[in-house]
Amino acid sequence: MTGCPDAGLPRLLLVECPGLDVPDGASRAGETGGADGAERLRRFGRVVEALSSVCPWVDAVRPGVCTLPIKGPTRYFGTEEAVLAQVTETVAAALDASPAVAPGTPDGTSGARGASGHTSGEAAGVRLGVAEGVFAAALAARAGSVVPAGETVGFLAPWPVDVLGDPELADVLVRLGLSTLGRFAAVPAADVLARFGASGVRGHRVARGLEGELPGYRVVGTGARLVAVLGRALALQDRQPGFWGGASAADERAGEVLVALQRRLGVEAVMVPVLEGGRGPADRCRLVPWSPAAAAREPKTARRRSPPEPPWPGRLPPPAPARVTAGARRVEMADGAGAPVGVTARGLLTGAPVRLSVTGDRWMPVTAWSAPWPVEERWWSRARRRVARLQVLTADGTGWLLVTERGRWRVEAVYD
Amino acid sequence: MFATPRIGALAQRVRPTAASRTRLLPVLPPVAALLPEGGLRRGTVVRCTGSGAPSLAMAVAAGPSAAGSWCGAVGLDELGVLAAAGYGMDLERLVVVRASPAEWAVAASDLLDGVDLVVLAPPRHVRHAAAQTLAARARDRGAVVLVVGERPGFPAELELAVETARWYGLAEGAGRLQSRRVTVAACGRGAAVRPVRQELWLPAATGKVAAA
Repeated sequence: MTGCPDAGLPRLLLVECPGLDVPDGASRAGETGGADGAERLRRFGRVVEALSSVCPWVDAVRPGVCTLPIKGPTRYFGTEEAVLAQVTETVAAALDASPAVAPGTPDGTSGARGASGHTSGEAAGVRLGVAEGVFAAALAARAGSVVPAGETVGFLAPWPVDVLGDPELADVLVRLGLSTLGRFAAVPAADVLARFGASGVRGHRVARGLEGELPGYRVVGTGARLVAVLGRALALQDRQPGFWGGASAADERAGEVLVALQRRLGVEAVMVPVLEGGRGPADRCRLVPWSPAAAAREPKTARRRSPPEPPWPGRLPPPAPARVTAGARRVEMADGAGAPVGVTARGLLTGAPVRLSVTGDRWMPVTAWSAPWPVEERWWSRARRRVARLQVLTADGTGWLLVTERGRWRVEAVYD
Repeated sequence: MFATPRIGALAQRVRPTAASRTRLLPVLPPVAALLPEGGLRRGTVVRCTGSGAPSLAMAVAAGPSAAGSWCGAVGLDELGVLAAAGYGMDLERLVVVRASPAEWAVAASDLLDGVDLVVLAPPRHVRHAAAQTLAARARDRGAVVLVVGERPGFPAELELAVETARWYGLAEGAGRLQSRRVTVAACGRGAAVRPVRQELWLPAATGKVAAA
């Protein structure tokens, strides 16, 4: 199975310090879970602080767990191995320098790339993993592995569905024979919401490498608490003030409402646009479920920047249509003799269209039409198909973008 | 002076709050002529009707969106996002909510808590009470609702009606849709009782809205 280049999940190095986790109850209570909890937080804060010298974008995901995008440091240090070595050393130094560290046992052997042993008891438990997205990176850390770029989905496939952290969902999945993430990922997305609910959708998206993180893993405000407990500013990418990806209160207010809406209507009911390269209006813009994690993690410019502009042949010229339909609406189009209009193998219309009818509605006179432009789509895949597009204007002043495939016309968009 | 940067930072932080107290959401210049106050008054409902109403709504929403407001679309599952971007809407602050006919009112109402502008295509037959409730919510939150389509049941302070529309650029078997010239009439209550007409390119060949 291959990775999903489309999702563009960031490649992350995740550092897990199991000894520095603060139990969930404590981490949500206003304070730090007692003196012990405070001390652990402080020590984790030192780790994060030290790591920000390796990379300025350290993300304190939850007490004991932080990530950093590995791409930038790799450019600086040369190889991912070099970054891992640097991070291992940095974490060990930060923990050793911490006064509360018991002298501990000398380290065991160091795994080549993943989990590494170190001088203190705590440092010995530190685990590193590299993969795309926080969820996969956490599993990679568990396995002590560096997942090659683009192979995250394949890496996730053999893990049992329990790792999604929803026992109820896992139970149902296992009973259906979908015991691994790979099997779950193979279920068509359309069936997931109906059968497994919102939690299922999230898990499914994660299993397919479309989303990087499940709700509930991140402990919001960890960064701010580290700052509080250390008593000094941290150069980490703090999610607290601009948690929803933007810096402004407006972004934050919108984010809160969108979370509530997703809870009420379902994850897939609240969508945001992503621009991509492609030829048709539907290919060039996808709507994806809004995700607070994505909004927070990905810099705005990376998420919805202008699409890359490869020379898509046959691309629809601007202006773009105001309505993009799902393509389900059938169209009948007839010439003066009442014969259906089609496209010849050479890409010409079989006749001049005179009237058209959408989904069997009344006929509308056609006042103007373009030459068809044939679009060989997906020539690289098995689903090779010949598609031609046509712009048509009807007497009521509406512009239509029609698409024909195997002799059938459908509405692709309306210039409304 | 020592205090200057702090004040700058402070201004930056309070900007959205301060903006929410301003009465008007800014619109693009070609659209401003249609609005009695030259901007969208917060707390009001504006109806866009006629052929090309979705485009008109996008052109109206482009101003606030570009100025930093979040926009939500409800009942517009087919919204042409590329067109929205063409008109000038900022896609980073656009959210499309898919709600069933039973849920659109709730969705729109909730959305009004979080965004400045809701572009709404309600079901054809809107219960008057539901519309009233939503309008009251918009008033309460200081947000603007742009209703797309003929929805007489919806109380609106202002109606922007596309009266005539004509596409240019496409001939019989040649050319392509390039631009559309429309006449929009604005009429409403209060300051907008007398209808105002404006000729617009909706869109111009650039995909933007322009005065014709």
